[in-house]
Amino acid sequence: MIDDNPAIDDTHLVDKDSLTTVDMGVNLGGLLMANPVTVGSGTFGNGKQYAGFYPLNRLGAITTKGVSGVPWAGNDNPRIAETASGMLNSIGLQNPGVESFVADELPWLATCGVPVIVNVSGHNASEYAAVIQRLETESAVSAYELNISCPNIDCGGMGFGTDPQTAYAVTQLCRKSTSRPLIVKLTPNVTDISEIACAVEAAGADAISLINTVLGMAIDVKRRRPVLARKVGGLSGPAIKPIALRMIYEVYQAVKIPLLGMGGICTASDAIEFMLAGATAVAIGTANFTDPMTAPTVVDGIREFCLEQNIPRVSELTGALL
Amino acid sequence: MVMSDMTYPACNADNNRMEPGLGGGQPRQEFCSVLDNGFMAESIAKIRLLAPYVAENCHPGQFVHLRLPNLEAHILRRPFSVYAADARSGEIQLLYQTVGAGTEHLTTVGRGAQIDVIGPIGRGWQPQPSAKRVLLVGGGLGVAPLYMLAASFRTDVEVHLVMGAQSADRLICREPFSTYITEPCLHITTDDGSAGQHCFTTKVVKDLLDEGSFDYIATCGPEAMQKAVAALAAEHKTVCEVSLERRMACGIGACLSCMVETINGPQRACVDGPVFSALEVIW
Ligand SMILES: Cc1cc2nc3c(=O)[nH]c(=O)nc-3n(C[C@H](O)[C@H](O)[C@H](O)COP(=O)(O)OP(=O)(O)OC[C@H]3O[C@@H](n4cnc5c(N)ncnc54)[C@H](O)[C@@H]3O)c2cc1C
Ligand SMILES: Cc1cc2nc3c(=O)[nH]c(=O)nc-3n(C[C@H](O)[C@H](O)[C@H](O)COP(=O)(O)O)c2cc1C
Ligand code: FES
Repeated sequence: MIDDNPAIDDTHLVDKDSLTTVDMGVNLGGLLMANPVTVGSGTFGNGKQYAGFYPLNRLGAITTKGVSGVPWAGNDNPRIAETASGMLNSIGLQNPGVESFVADELPWLATCGVPVIVNVSGHNASEYAAVIQRLETESAVSAYELNISCPNIDCGGMGFGTDPQTAYAVTQLCRKSTSRPLIVKLTPNVTDISEIACAVEAAGADAISLINTVLGMAIDVKRRRPVLARKVGGLSGPAIKPIALRMIYEVYQAVKIPLLGMGGICTASDAIEFMLAGATAVAIGTANFTDPMTAPTVVDGIREFCLEQNIPRVSELTGALL
Repeated sequence: MVMSDMTYPACNADNNRMEPGLGGGQPRQEFCSVLDNGFMAESIAKIRLLAPYVAENCHPGQFVHLRLPNLEAHILRRPFSVYAADARSGEIQLLYQTVGAGTEHLTTVGRGAQIDVIGPIGRGWQPQPSAKRVLLVGGGLGVAPLYMLAASFRTDVEVHLVMGAQSADRLICREPFSTYITEPCLHITTDDGSAGQHCFTTKVVKDLLDEGSFDYIATCGPEAMQKAVAALAAEHKTVCEVSLERRMACGIGACLSCMVETINGPQRACVDGPVFSALEVIW
């Protein structure tokens, strides 16, 4: 399964009459990606841990772990629980803060030859904006993803993503701080996700990513206690894929800006479902844990699908549901 | 916009490395054939895998992160210490206790099956090279990561082992350890008194430390036992390392599921551990 030869010459794979190459590039709100696959924030560290498995330039972009203005400690153990076809996490956006990110992670990320989407978190709107302002002078940063959807912190996080007005306000403040592509990441833990999507579009977001984790719980019956120290956490993995897909489908009807789809994607076929429902690009999250080679395998699978189906540009898949 | 023309320079080979484990090899994904798998005692089994890369690069105390074959609903890998490794034959052995769905399922995997393994992972044991008299303390299957350590000492090092189990039939490693550790240095305890001394390992550890000094202690097993051993070691000003278990998702340092509180701040059990200096850990 480990593919040592990233530069596959597709011309040998098909007959003369059919397609020989696929244009895999996509434009995610101004962020040009060589292929539509990135990774879910928080599931990939800042890339180093996966670089031993494949060259990271096989990805369309790297999405970093959430970065905040000051260091965050995160939550108590246990922080994870396996559930049927999924997992709960309550990591709590543990990170050493933006200064340490700039000093310790960015120089390395800059050598990977792939666009870097920095996932930004904060307790209030000005904290989000401050992280962006700090990163504006860093040339290694290609785009920002505002995490207004983390269910694992008490103050901020998901609170911003469940109310259209606050979602609008934080997006608008960040918009004023940058002309780089601004992606806003939404939570599924709302009644009407389209409403929030429209609010962040109106506030100037260039793209929307969805979904963050679904609030959930697991209980240890013998101990009669929640498995997670924080009691509740975010559900991810294949279990949430149908929810994610439905939300992409709804938001695609509601907004004009492009979507970055995620939630349980494990295979190329999963990724293509997201694109057909309206996603311009997709992210592999929890599946990185199951198999570190998932992301490049999905890239290759999408390309093969396009060749088989005579689709010259992968971007033609977006919203192409019949 | 034509973006297929977009090219990025290849990753810099030097940067294209994972964080260091101690085995001299970066963790890799290896698809391993099962050579043998079977029970050694009630709810304790041993699996032998053909895993040439892990076998060659594994340092005592490191572990593998194993994907449960044909169990798609269980999306997380399971971590297991490498019990034994033979670089020449490419074989590794794991000892595991059936405690839940994953380990129960693992017992049904037969010879010839393929298992997806990532390894070797983590910081292994780091005894001081000058250590002349060392004490290993294993409770239950905590003896597993101590076997390669026992084998790694020079013959002039006096190696003691305190091996604790619930009962005599669960002392499955007694025989193999006896290659490296012989009678006066091998201390057995059982909870029910069916073999060795009728007490917990910590009682014997205390007696041994009271009798004479050791240069290094390594312990693995239930966390309460490790904590007690660490306290005894501190009392006797003896260098001590512990091996901690945490729930792990990625197993390679990326997800921060597996944090251990230490005096140097939070550390990841998977790559900063699983072996930690006992003095660093905030228990
Ligand atoms: C570094 C390390 C080395 C280990 N070495 C061994 C070994 O040599 N032999 C052995 O029998 N066991 C070992 N364990 C424990 C082993 O990983 C668990 O017993 C196993 O994951 C249980 O899986 P399950 O599906 O049967 O249990 P379930 O309880 O159904 O598992 C549910 C989830 O909890 C996790 N989990 C449950 N118990 C533990 C635990 N004690 N530690 C970490 N995660 C856990 C599982 O991985 C899984 O994600 C080790 C753990 C670690 C962290
Ligand atoms: C362990 C873990 C940590 C995560 N950390 C973050 C984070 O820091 N910021 C963020 O925006 N999303 C975070 N997420 C959410 C993922 O990026 C993703 O939106 C979600 O898991 C759904 O995708 P998946 O099912 O493919 O994992 C995290 C998810 C997991 C499982
Ligand atoms: S298990 Fe992911 S960081 Fe340790």
